[in-house]
Amino acid sequence: MSDDSLTSAAAPGPDDAAHAPGGASVLLAARPLPDGTGPGTWQLGWTGVRTVAVLELRQRIRSTRWTAVLALWTGVLALLTILVRWAVHRIYDESFEGEGLGPGADEAAARLADQVAGRLTFGIIVFLVLSLAGLVSPALSATSINGDRQAGVLATLQTTLLSPAQIVVGKLLAAWVTGLALLAAAVPFIGWIYLDGGTPFGRLAVVVVVLALTILVVCAIGLGWSAITARTSSSAVLTYLTVAFLGPGLPLLFALSVPLVTENKPVAVRQQLYTAEGAPTGCRVAQEERTITYTNRSWWLLAASPYVVVADASPKPLTENGSDDPMTLIRDSVREARLGPRFPLEECYESDQAQQRLDEQRRDQRESLGVTWPYGLAADLALGGLFVAVAVRRLRTPTRRLPTGTRVA
Amino acid sequence: MTEPTVPRAGITARGVRRTFGDVVAVDHIDLDAPPGKVTALVGPNGSGKTTLLLVLASLLVPDAGQVSIAGFDPVTQPRAVRARTGWMPDVFGTWESLTCREVLLTVGDAFALPRAAAAARVDHLLELVHLADLRDRPTQVLSRGQKQRLGLARALVHDPDVVLLDEPASGLDPRSRIELRGIVRGLAAEGRTVLVSSHVLAELDEMADRAVIVARGRTVAVEEVAAAAQARRTWRVRALDTGVLLAALDARRTPHPPPDRDGVEVELGSDVEAAELLAALVRDGVPVVELAPASGVLEQAYLALTEDRR
Repeated sequence: MSDDSLTSAAAPGPDDAAHAPGGASVLLAARPLPDGTGPGTWQLGWTGVRTVAVLELRQRIRSTRWTAVLALWTGVLALLTILVRWAVHRIYDESFEGEGLGPGADEAAARLADQVAGRLTFGIIVFLVLSLAGLVSPALSATSINGDRQAGVLATLQTTLLSPAQIVVGKLLAAWVTGLALLAAAVPFIGWIYLDGGTPFGRLAVVVVVLALTILVVCAIGLGWSAITARTSSSAVLTYLTVAFLGPGLPLLFALSVPLVTENKPVAVRQQLYTAEGAPTGCRVAQEERTITYTNRSWWLLAASPYVVVADASPKPLTENGSDDPMTLIRDSVREARLGPRFPLEECYESDQAQQRLDEQRRDQRESLGVTWPYGLAADLALGGLFVAVAVRRLRTPTRRLPTGTRVA
Repeated sequence: MTEPTVPRAGITARGVRRTFGDVVAVDHIDLDAPPGKVTALVGPNGSGKTTLLLVLASLLVPDAGQVSIAGFDPVTQPRAVRARTGWMPDVFGTWESLTCREVLLTVGDAFALPRAAAAARVDHLLELVHLADLRDRPTQVLSRGQKQRLGLARALVHDPDVVLLDEPASGLDPRSRIELRGIVRGLAAEGRTVLVSSHVLAELDEMADRAVIVARGRTVAVEEVAAAAQARRTWRVRALDTGVLLAALDARRTPHPPPDRDGVEVELGSDVEAAELLAALVRDGVPVVELAPASGVLEQAYLALTEDRR
């Protein structure tokens, strides 16, 4: 009992002030202090991460007008959702009016139209939210480290027992939580369109998860650039450029790479044979010169784009129809690119049935392909991880070199 | 309660050199700051004081030389050094939206201090630096001097053995300066090692036990303040009748420049010589009003050593 009170005596005793008249008389109890050997740069204890994250979030909540930002964000999303939904439904409702169908068929067609319209709206809204997240997320972290340097508060953390990894991960966590708050505000709108019908639940779940991870990656990129550059404006610009490269940039690069994977060479072609009178008789395979674009060599450029990841990861709606919404369209296009040309090239169209059979074959091939999104998502997460690692290395102290134009404190 | 039993080994720096590109910030500094003493780091602007403190605070790797803080090397054992070192930077940035108390508690968390003990210590430190009234106000409302005091408290949160203070007095009002002196003396009295860099030389006379004078990135002198008081320096003598005073000085063959409005300056070898002179002048019937050092102990040494400002 008395042992306890002795060892836990961290609070000041009555005679404390006596032996330290002018100084800091409330001393801390003797505690284990690290010696030279402890873990270093990459040490990642949770309490340290939490300390940094709480510090960051507190500052964000107090110093920014986050209620205004959240309200504006929600307002913009509400407006966009209402407009897109109205526009899509108007187009579909009109196209199904006045086709002179019977009463029963009319109802079924209208239901089908609703489903297609719902899927289309869902896809458009998801891509809009993804694009807006790409625009907003860099602001969450792209000035985090160099901003602290400029304000003279980074060294305050660096001279404590926090490891560089704890500082970086704490900041990343705070930025991500802020981003997730924005995502949470978007979920009701995505959910509303989901309830309109036509979209499988799996797609809703996948979309939310991929959006959350995309925001995480963007925050990591911003954090990395903010550790690399001294000026906050540079890191902001570089973060936007990196995000632009990932989103629309990679598909653009895929398009630009077409000449590189296009070859002119003799390939096997299944051709139509004709009788002397010009009637089709059968097919034969021959070597012919053709211009072939081997997209199977460059499709991977598409895989890491968040638009492709989200589209490829979301399950296909259970309809007989083909690609009637933007997500399925991208999903099928990427897989088509991945399959590449198939030999012998089919140029012998005997009948509609044969054509349909070939299309179905091709579709089965597409569906039998393994999914691409895990690779794309893994590439994105690896990129984010790389930026985090760079940030951690940049925060190591004591330091040998300083980024040009910075003070260490 | 027990006295702190951890051996407190102070600061040693040998031949420290640090360059930034082609700018030599610290050329060759030797420094010893023993525990239980206040050591002043004195030098002109740009003489490398802040850079040296950054090396000591485990933020910069020196290009050459050895450093030991409380028995540990800040380059290879930075965590051990940080756990024992409190650093107050010259430019004190702060988390503007946090309250004074939250700032200090955050630092306590960052040092992994037990919450309850840290809270008690933080409250005490806020009293110590007279910020208790402002403890729940955000730091952005603090004046420069108040921020400076918060910076001092921040450097002490984790009960460090070694305290590095970079220009702690800048921006402080006269009362706060006097209190700072008391706090710094108290820290040394508790057995801590205190290193203070400052320009305010007169103040260091009363605060510091020893002074390391640096110029152009090199250690040029180490002065024991008590010993420096025994060194040859200029004294000022003032009498009601300057003519009588000059006559008495001339009679004693004490060399002196022509008198000015405030009396006559004389060179004296020690406090003993000064006492002898005063006794002699009084004996001779000179109406002496004042006999005092013309300048502070450190000021004299400093001015002699650092004529080459840059």
